[in-house]
Amino acid sequence: MVRLITHNLLACHVKGCTSNNFPLQFRDVQIELREAEFNPDFLRGFMPKLEWKALVDASRQLGDTSLPPEVPEMLDDDFLKNLHHVLLEIHVEEGVMTCPNCRHEYPILNGIPNMLLAEHEIG
Amino acid sequence: MAPKAVAPAIVDGDPQTYENENVHAIYDKIASHFSSTRYKPWPIISVFMSSIPTGWIGLDAGTGNGKYLPLPLDRPSDILTIGLDRSINLLRLARHAGESRATREVVWGDVLGHCWRPGVFDYAISIATIHHLATHERRIEAVKRLLESVDPQHGRILIYVWAIEQDELSKRQIPTGDDDSDRRGKDVVVPWVLSQPAEPARRGGSEAPTEQRVFNRYYHMFAKGELSGLVHGAAADLGMHVGEPSALASKQLHPIRGVEIVQDGWERSNYYVELRCWQTSE
Ligand SMILES: [Zn+2]
Repeated sequence: MVRLITHNLLACHVKGCTSNNFPLQFRDVQIELREAEFNPDFLRGFMPKLEWKALVDASRQLGDTSLPPEVPEMLDDDFLKNLHHVLLEIHVEEGVMTCPNCRHEYPILNGIPNMLLAEHEIG
Repeated sequence: MAPKAVAPAIVDGDPQTYENENVHAIYDKIASHFSSTRYKPWPIISVFMSSIPTGWIGLDAGTGNGKYLPLPLDRPSDILTIGLDRSINLLRLARHAGESRATREVVWGDVLGHCWRPGVFDYAISIATIHHLATHERRIEAVKRLLESVDPQHGRILIYVWAIEQDELSKRQIPTGDDDSDRRGKDVVVPWVLSQPAEPARRGGSEAPTEQRVFNRYYHMFAKGELSGLVHGAAADLGMHVGEPSALASKQLHPIRGVEIVQDGWERSNYYVELRCWQTSE
């Protein structure tokens, strides 16, 4: 379960890869949808941390087009429910995340992303 | 149950290789048995998690079986804690930690890595993890990663490590030496006795249906003051002040980053520190 909330936090950490290393690009994904408890206060509190464009791009890669390209001024319930679904209910179970800069590939297996690096790749 | 003996350890060779063999490989083998004995959160950690404001996200560096991921129990969806661990078998358990059937967010990685946008978390906890790192330098690095992972203005951190100072009820017998372990801590191995049916892969061989295997896990037992010493070392490396923000002149040309040690204590055979990051405005 890399959900998009986690994807929005992850960055490549290969030695020397310090710019353009976010967001990781999804490839060959299998997703599952699982309901989660809707908590608008959590979403409002978390919004300042979000990289909006990265979230919108990633959600479209996963086939969800419910989010607007810009953060709306009014955070009404309809918007927050879409945001909730995109951030917390789409689980990437299998696939690969590729660094846009160095092309390093981070596999996702059984819902768990492998962010380990080999010794020589550690910065 | 007989007291568990603790034997002195000598860390030699490459510390990463040493940890791979004496920590990570062992947790992968004992994961489910270990997990069945680890379900009750320590009080200090529950209190810390209950104090986290709604909407915050956090990192649990060395999450193990993920027992802190469902906290706080009375308002679980108010915050989100992401678990990081080196042991894939523990992560598989952490993924479904807690009473509810909720899926937890877990990431397979190293506490010395930094696979996150810098400062993106509001809080970080590292419970019973840093004591598995085999050198003083690596333990400082781990604290640096925690300081870098949280928001420079309001980030909060809780670190828990095993103490030489054991409580009376502890079953452990700690070797006493004539070294300077009062000051620098002590490297030990702690046996984990795994008594269970033979692993499926080994069934059909000459193994008995149950077997007992002993795994010696490496720990660094902390001396009093050593944990806050790591915080000072890590802060110095990152150019951060240690202390209260008010201790500095309010007008500075450049923002100053700092970390305050708000708690430095001992609980049930462990030392802990609670930290708050701060930054002056320009
Ligand atoms: Zn990269």
